[in-house]
Amino acid sequence: MSAPAGQRTAFAARLGRLWARTWPPLLGVAILLGAWQLLYLVEFRPPWVFPSPGEVATSLVELARDPVSWSALGTTLTRGVVGFGLALLLGTALGIALSASRVLRSAIGSLLTGLQTMPSIAWFPFAILLFGLTEQAILFVVILGAVPSIANGLISGIDDVPPALVRTAHTLGARGFSMYRYVVVPAALPTYVAGLKQGWAFAWRSLMAGELLVVIAARPSLGVQMTFFREFADTAPLLATMIVILVIGMVVDGVLSRVSNRVRLRRGLGAVRL
Amino acid sequence: MSAGTEMAIRARGVTKLFGRGTDQVVALDGVDLEVAEGEFVCLLGRSGCGKSTLLSMIAGLTRPSEGEIDMGGRRVGMMFQDSNLFPWLTVEGNIHLALRLSGAPKDQWADRTAELLDMVHLPGMQLRRPHELSGGMRQRVALARSLAQDCQILLMDEPFAALDAITRDALHDQIERVWAERRLTIVFVTHNVREAARLGDRVVVMQPSPGRIAEEVRVTLARPRKMDDPLIATRAAALHDKLDKYHVIAEQGRTS
Ligand SMILES: Nc1ncnc2c1ncn2[C@@H]1O[C@H](COP(=O)(O)OP(=O)(O)OP(=O)(O)O)[C@@H](O)[C@H]1O
Ligand SMILES: [Mg+2]
Repeated sequence: MSAPAGQRTAFAARLGRLWARTWPPLLGVAILLGAWQLLYLVEFRPPWVFPSPGEVATSLVELARDPVSWSALGTTLTRGVVGFGLALLLGTALGIALSASRVLRSAIGSLLTGLQTMPSIAWFPFAILLFGLTEQAILFVVILGAVPSIANGLISGIDDVPPALVRTAHTLGARGFSMYRYVVVPAALPTYVAGLKQGWAFAWRSLMAGELLVVIAARPSLGVQMTFFREFADTAPLLATMIVILVIGMVVDGVLSRVSNRVRLRRGLGAVRL
Repeated sequence: MSAGTEMAIRARGVTKLFGRGTDQVVALDGVDLEVAEGEFVCLLGRSGCGKSTLLSMIAGLTRPSEGEIDMGGRRVGMMFQDSNLFPWLTVEGNIHLALRLSGAPKDQWADRTAELLDMVHLPGMQLRRPHELSGGMRQRVALARSLAQDCQILLMDEPFAALDAITRDALHDQIERVWAERRLTIVFVTHNVREAARLGDRVVVMQPSPGRIAEEVRVTLARPRKMDDPLIATRAAALHDKLDKYHVIAEQGRTS
């Protein structure tokens, strides 16, 4: 008798917690949609350039029924994954090399930080001359956008490993590789993951810039789709595509944030509110 | 030290300077210290007289500015003044890492860990994380971790400063037992005169500014000892007077 009742209250408590977490963002979205609808109703711009939320939602459904837009999504996601994946490998290797070698560090350390501030879209004219209107041109810029953040995250993570922990590990017998494997890398992990997050943001931005500039014939992508909708002044599906781009960026960032929070919570680094 | 006893640690003329120019601090000034194999030496001294500095030089973490320290190739373990547990590992993970780095076979880790945690009065705490423990508990995990490594010389920097008297007494018994069983050489830093008298074969009294060895006192009480032994209280009182004396001398030296 009491067990199901206990289960029910536990279930209710879980539901309550879920609700407590979901209502603020839902409210935010509702306010946004309300304002949008209002702007539409007062005709701040003609309806064919400024559609209502409802029309955009309809476009979204239409896009979801169209196999071409799925293949566009597939192309863009593949580029994102490949580009970010390569940037991850390169950035990590570069980060390790730079934190291991003082010479290398003083040679290109500040250049790397400088690259981080450079808008990656500025690379495209050069990339297009170098590779033509090709996949390589896009990947090149995506990688250039993400690598500095990832490498710098790892470098500052390694720089900030508490010296006391390194000394402790030394007295426990850690040297060279085992010092890296069991102490330096785990200690640097939170900052590294923060670098990955930033790297993803840059990669995704560069990718969108690239798809708008480097239009490869007969290969639909989200960027090509947007160009197409703009040329036909078809605002509703354009906005629908933008929503898809926003959501993908947020989902990946959310996954990385969760990883980052877990890593930090496990070592007692969670945010404290007093 | 009877004739023929080998020295585990030989420090000769060890001086350590920190900083440069007018900011220079003489942390240690010409320290000579010999510790015989299997000896339990307590370093006693007021705060800032260079005890931690001396230990970290013996552990090879910093080099002396002058002089030399020779351990004859013995393996040195160290327990720090702060627990310095690895925050990304559980209690168990911290101890396992010490076992791994000292080459213990993997199938023994779990048993050794349980044994060590029992010894520091933290049974069943394997899966806790360092930030979930109290300061004294962390210090005891650090003790367990330092005992997990396979070393011949163990340096301990105020390991029990954060503990209540009852737990500390129990750990004194344990450390004395492990020391005797494993024939360890221990250098143990403390501020506490009773602790020094309870544990040490020899108590090295240090004086501050600059850090020097002021005097050495042999404690020839039978083992195992008990903290509430009145003889220990007598020795502790004598040590306390010495500490006072050298502190006053140092103060006068500074003002004159
Ligand atoms: N890294 C450092 N840089 C500059 N000065 C230092 C450094 N480490 C220690 N000192 C100085 O050396 C002196 C001795 O320090 P040490 O930590 O060895 O003292 P201690 O005897 O261990 O003191 P306590 O009992 O408080 O731990 C102090 O005056 C301290 O300020
Ligand atoms: Mg100290």
